[in-house]
Amino acid sequence: MTAGVLQLDNLSVRLRLPGGRFVSAVTGLSCTVRAGEVLALVGESGCGKSVLASTILGLLPGNAQVRGQVWLDDAAARTELLRAPEHELATRVRGRRIGLIPQSAGTHLTPVRTARSQLAEALAHHGSEGGGAEIASRVDELAQQVGLDPDDLYGYPHELSGGMTQRVVTALALAGNPLVLVADEPTAGLDRALVDHTVDLFRFVAGTGRAVLFITHDLAAAGRVADHLAVMYAGRLLELGPAREVLADPWHDYTRGLLAALPSGGLQPLPGHPPSLTELASGCAFHRRVPGECSGDPTLTWHGGRAVACR
Amino acid sequence: MGDAAARTKRTSPGRAGGPHETSAPADAAQRTGETAADEHGWIDAGRPWTRARRSRLRLSARQRLAVGIGVVIALVAYAVAVPIVAGFDERAVDLSASGMPPSWAQPFGTDMAGRDLFVRAAAGLRISLLIAGTCAILSTVLGVLVGVLAGGLGRWVDRIVMRLVDTVNAIPHLLLGIVIVALYRGNVIAIVASITLTHWAPVARLIRSEVLSLRQREFVDAAISGGAGRIWVIRRHFVPAIVPQAVVAAALLLPHAVWHESALSFLGLGLPPHRASLGTLLDEARESLLLGSWWTLVFPSLMLVAATLAIAACGAAWRDHVLPRRRSEELP
Amino acid sequence: MRSVTRADRRRAIGWMVLRRLVMMVPVVALTSVIVFVLAAASPFDPLAGYLGDRYLTAGADEQERLRGTLGLDDPWYAQYGQWVTTLLSGDLGTSRVYGQPVVDVLAERLPWTVLLAGTALALAIVVALCLGVWSAWRHGGMLDRLVAGLAHAVEGIPPFVVALAAIGIFALGLSWFPVAGLTEPGADVTFGQVVTHMALPASVLACSQVPWLLLHVRQSMIAALGEDYVTGARARGLPLPVIVLRHALPTALLPFVTLVGVRLPELVTGAILVESVFSWPGVADAVVRAAVEVDFALLAALTLLAAVAVLLGSLLADVLYAVLDPRVATDG
Repeated sequence: MTAGVLQLDNLSVRLRLPGGRFVSAVTGLSCTVRAGEVLALVGESGCGKSVLASTILGLLPGNAQVRGQVWLDDAAARTELLRAPEHELATRVRGRRIGLIPQSAGTHLTPVRTARSQLAEALAHHGSEGGGAEIASRVDELAQQVGLDPDDLYGYPHELSGGMTQRVVTALALAGNPLVLVADEPTAGLDRALVDHTVDLFRFVAGTGRAVLFITHDLAAAGRVADHLAVMYAGRLLELGPAREVLADPWHDYTRGLLAALPSGGLQPLPGHPPSLTELASGCAFHRRVPGECSGDPTLTWHGGRAVACR
Repeated sequence: MGDAAARTKRTSPGRAGGPHETSAPADAAQRTGETAADEHGWIDAGRPWTRARRSRLRLSARQRLAVGIGVVIALVAYAVAVPIVAGFDERAVDLSASGMPPSWAQPFGTDMAGRDLFVRAAAGLRISLLIAGTCAILSTVLGVLVGVLAGGLGRWVDRIVMRLVDTVNAIPHLLLGIVIVALYRGNVIAIVASITLTHWAPVARLIRSEVLSLRQREFVDAAISGGAGRIWVIRRHFVPAIVPQAVVAAALLLPHAVWHESALSFLGLGLPPHRASLGTLLDEARESLLLGSWWTLVFPSLMLVAATLAIAACGAAWRDHVLPRRRSEELP
Repeated sequence: MRSVTRADRRRAIGWMVLRRLVMMVPVVALTSVIVFVLAAASPFDPLAGYLGDRYLTAGADEQERLRGTLGLDDPWYAQYGQWVTTLLSGDLGTSRVYGQPVVDVLAERLPWTVLLAGTALALAIVVALCLGVWSAWRHGGMLDRLVAGLAHAVEGIPPFVVALAAIGIFALGLSWFPVAGLTEPGADVTFGQVVTHMALPASVLACSQVPWLLLHVRQSMIAALGEDYVTGARARGLPLPVIVLRHALPTALLPFVTLVGVRLPELVTGAILVESVFSWPGVADAVVRAAVEVDFALLAALTLLAAVAVLLGSLLADVLYAVLDPRVATDG
């Protein structure tokens, strides 16, 4: 087993609201993303999974507080990201060792500059040697890698389709040749063919020895590409294990419910709604929504290579 | 994989028990590259980009309104009371007291004709405020009339009015004011007209858009189709919507009118010298300044700036307080 | 295929310019009507303007005869038609104050105004940009609050007060700069002379424009720094100057371009006051003299000139906006 490149260790994130209340976005989350593997983090929208990407990259808003540790491990160094100074994150981590594919790709591109100019800029700042011609050829190469026609890059962001902007931000995330790729809902708003193309790209990226953290609400897409699957509900992990095993034999009621809601599972939606993350009561949030035998906070317990809560 | 599970059981490290409160920003820690955690291990995650910096000295709209009104009342009391108490006569010249610097007896000093500037500035402020107040009310009335007409009648009336508004906005206001005053020299009405005719346009535009949006709203349609009379609809729906807008508009126009009048007087196009406004005093200060009499500039300027800033603050605070929709931000 | 759309866009911008130029015609025409009607209704006798000093010596018969030949007894619209015809033939009339054709007055004075106002505007833009960007970057910090507070305060001080204060401090007190004029009395117009004489008026004029521009730059920069694409640029690990200058600033600057265009009337107003205080030999100073002496030909020409300049300025700003921002529609 290869070593973990990105380790989240008992990570909690909360956002302070006016009036002293808190949103508990992530609670006691631990997992490991390994080189050459795709870890898919799956959950309904509003379960706190998107905060995770911002946490890893140090891009949380000013009212956020964190607890626990996030370790970035590679041949060069072992860095604890939550306590790393901003300067180190800006000059050595973001874009270089961790690439981010942000949610809502369209708004993450500067509107008054062409996609090509932004891609060339990212390449130039991430150590691509040589002059303009060389960078231009690297741009074309990267574009082709993510499935873009290099000519499309001459468009301004508002001239590109949703699928095209998605691939542009993917190319931007790969420009610095990062060890870890964090993709935050990269398939939202794409049609099935583009979703498949995008996740296949993650497979390819992982195949080059990099680690991919694929955050999504789309269990089908996750199942297509993930080596490991983590299921998240109300800020906590409920199940974690090799994707094939978890999908074939889900242990947790919630995972079972998510599978049943898929077209292949009979389109039976889960009853009720995910809870609000403000003022979460202690105890198992899921089993307050769906009755079941459970007591106390959901904590993962390990059984062989898999872990599950509420058992 | 098992080690991850083991680690979840460990209590999280971090410098537990630090003296920092949760709310204390991690400023110092950021600078030294260290991170402070509170007793439960929470760390503020805001980075220099995103860290919320709250100003401790921020007054609410209500407080700003109170301060502004206080200053305005003090200035009005000064402008009204001082000339009466001092028995002031603009024409009284005492060359033996010419150009005296500030003293206890004459806190603002005297001008070149030996008149007490403390009294003269009060009289000037009174005239400035009187003219500006008249102009602000008149231009608001004109603007409301034109705006209601344009918004209410629509079609070609609206088109002509909007072209007129564009035209008035295309000529710099002071220039148009100068043209008017030049052609009707030396009377108060010309000054009032020059300010009124240059300041109504934004009010008209504001009121017009208010009327247009009211007309599009369903309850007005419903009232009309429900057989309500025109007068009733106007009283019930249009007056309550337009009156606060108009009052705020007048308050916001007032400092501009003060400014405009003093600029005209400063250029020598204002009132005759025996009815000096603050602008006239400043015009006279141009010459006495060359003789070193700084106080002839400083005190009338202070009055002018204090008056405009206080009134503007009142207007803005009141707008925020009364009209949270903030459409009146389009005003000058 | 994309190059075709770019060509289309250029053509669309061309059409926009043409459409806006056509729309300027009624506004300028209306301006001329307003100015003319004001003059026609004025109690001032245009014959006095025509005859100048000879007005008092000329007998009643001669005056009547002149009235007839000049068409002064015709209705105002006939006179207006005649006036416009001569204007369109390129004859702007003769300035009584300066005793030379209005065209010559403009040719002599316009370059100095353009020099002063252009320098001031450039200075104001540079200062507003630097301070505004920096202030937005340190949003909420001590220096940001200081800059914003100062801007609000300076915005409330009329330019003529700033001008007089500047003269009092820098020309009279410290003797760093001359008090007024274009050169020392009798000296030749040299580069050095003009620069030393322009330093104060240009700074004062810039000072009157900075606060408003600065506060707007700051506001749009604060908004831009919070946008997703700035977060995106940060997530890519780009260096700080690149993020601020190549991602946040370009989008924050777009509204700024139109703001500068909208701001032209204020620049003209400021120029009138500043040129008058510093006796700068530009057209704005001529406005005041023409007004004081009721020189209708010059006043009318200057008013029309200002209107055209303001309209062209806002057109230029809109074109620039459309060129810089590929998203802007050109059919507005």
